[in-house]
Amino acid sequence: MKYHLISLGCQMNLSDTERVKTVLHELGFSPTENENEASILGVIACSVRQKAIDKVYSRIAKWNKLKNRKNLITFVSGCILPSDNERFLKLFDLVFPMSELPQLPEMIRQYGVVSPAGLLQNDDSLHKEAYTPAKKENGSVLFQDFVTFQKPSQPKLNPGKDIDQFWHVEPTYTSDFEAFIPIQNGCDKFCSFCAVPYTRGREVSRPSHEIIEELKVLVEKGYKTITLLGQNVNSYGLDKKGDEIGFAELLRQIGEFGNSTQQEFWVYFTSPHPRDMTDEVIEVISQYKCLGKQIHLPVQSGDDKVLMRMNRKHAMDKYRHIVQTIRKLIPEATLFTDIIVGFTGETEEQFENTRLAMEEFKYNMAYIAQYSVRPGAASSRWEDDIPQEVKKERLHKLTQELMKHSLQYNKALVGKTVRVIVRGRDRKEGFLSGHTEGKLVIRFASDDQSLIGQFVDLKINSASPLSLEGKLVHVEATAD
Amino acid sequence: MSRRGLGFRAGQHILLGKAGSIHNREYSVYSGEQEDFFEVLIKEVDEGLVSKQLKKSKAGDLMQIEGPLGFFTIEPELIEKGKFLFVATGTGIAPFHSFVKSYPSIDYTLLHGVRYAEEAYEKSSYNHDRHILCTSGDNQGNFNGRVTAYLTKNPVSPDTHCYLCGNFQMIHEVFDLLEKQGVPPENVHAEVYF
Repeated sequence: MKYHLISLGCQMNLSDTERVKTVLHELGFSPTENENEASILGVIACSVRQKAIDKVYSRIAKWNKLKNRKNLITFVSGCILPSDNERFLKLFDLVFPMSELPQLPEMIRQYGVVSPAGLLQNDDSLHKEAYTPAKKENGSVLFQDFVTFQKPSQPKLNPGKDIDQFWHVEPTYTSDFEAFIPIQNGCDKFCSFCAVPYTRGREVSRPSHEIIEELKVLVEKGYKTITLLGQNVNSYGLDKKGDEIGFAELLRQIGEFGNSTQQEFWVYFTSPHPRDMTDEVIEVISQYKCLGKQIHLPVQSGDDKVLMRMNRKHAMDKYRHIVQTIRKLIPEATLFTDIIVGFTGETEEQFENTRLAMEEFKYNMAYIAQYSVRPGAASSRWEDDIPQEVKKERLHKLTQELMKHSLQYNKALVGKTVRVIVRGRDRKEGFLSGHTEGKLVIRFASDDQSLIGQFVDLKINSASPLSLEGKLVHVEATAD
Repeated sequence: MSRRGLGFRAGQHILLGKAGSIHNREYSVYSGEQEDFFEVLIKEVDEGLVSKQLKKSKAGDLMQIEGPLGFFTIEPELIEKGKFLFVATGTGIAPFHSFVKSYPSIDYTLLHGVRYAEEAYEKSSYNHDRHILCTSGDNQGNFNGRVTAYLTKNPVSPDTHCYLCGNFQMIHEVFDLLEKQGVPPENVHAEVYF
């Protein structure tokens, strides 16, 4: 029997989806892209953006129609605001926080749909308790009921609280050469434009020994790029108040492992928060070969007052210090960022400060978003008062600024030979595409698909604003 | 509220809602770190949901609290040797009340901006030389005018550690003034109330 899974939102959701797949595979289900042939239809949702939530409503409307002609189960999990959670209860059969993923098999069994899962012998003592799932008016079930039995059904206020058991589920990696490792869940920063603290709950750090173990296994399997994931990766460990190592030490331990193995790999992390970025983290990155020399440092705005309104908890001087330290200790590092233009109340002068920040920091890549109200975020209580045309124009100006600096940087690389991880076929016929250690996109002429997932050396022969083109000069014989 | 061992640093906030409700809001802690009870200052919002729910609470009702959270705190090494300016509008005075209760010897000046003097909260909690009630709607406070007008007439020295809490219009205006008066941005800390 088959399942169809839709993952919406950020890399955290993609990473979570890899674990959901494992649970479904262990139940005997296989994936299908065709929702008409699936018996289980699931969404890993994202309440952080309205568009993503709109997609959930559109899918479930269609899936509920499919129920008229076949027996199937629908579920939703992921990054969900309590208010959306309440609505989903009326639409989906199963609604559960990601922290309760390990109990999904039990939930499916209890639901009583004929499936490989339903036919499995039920040995768990939990399952033997006489319990009739408390379906809602329309038949939906909040999974929290299953584990608590007598508790009134209600969405969790801190959905990430029991995330530990989720991390014990082995992921079904989407790629065989690049992987995500979640190191933390939730967020304590409460940026006013963001709803993540309300959907994922408070920051919880995953035990470091589990992270290191997962990383070692991946490297031994031949994975080439590994990204440590979290909403604020560099506040890793702070929630444990001294009972866990900090982010710099975690990186150091990864670096030491990198030095001890013959395998070549690059480790990245996303996203850090400037407030918790220490000089020590930058020092450690500079000291170890396997720690990718690319830093994604969201600035969001270059204006101190806008940063205050965004509740970012740092001023531009702090950000400037971090960038100066990066430039000093890791001059070869590339710098990426996130920016929001047209945030509530952003004046021309404040926007100009952001443009000046782009000029100053010369980013290699910037993910620039026009501000849109995110339901549940604190700023949703303010008027979205910057006209769409103004936002568009500001986005355009910053994009031009980005292209200018990126082109200048890329041109300086022409003639140099760089190490590249080949990631797949390029859109251009007869070319493969990959990225450098600094995550600069590069393509080269080759039809040899066996290179995908391998490190190669490319001599750069041309540069564009956001990409490079090179010529294959060397393919490393790999151990795997 | 009974504290039940909940630790916090003055200036932090909690997420508070009625037990069993999915709705909660951020409120700064009003009481001091050493007090054996726990207080927050809540303004009833006309179109609000949580503040109205909380207003109906009775003694004995259960509350759901998450936290403490936030970084609007004072570095311990600065408490005894720093000079502080606290600027609040409305219920934005809550974290400053907590600062003053927690650190009785702190060297501070508190500007509290309200429309009418009757909107002041527990003036007696503060040393009257350090508490300046700025009233824009009457002249019953210590200064008739907004906090920005007071600051314009009474500039601060650049080495002052400034903490601003309240609506963002006030925060922006005060930020600009402090910048003009030579206070570096890293000495200005803000907690925006929505």
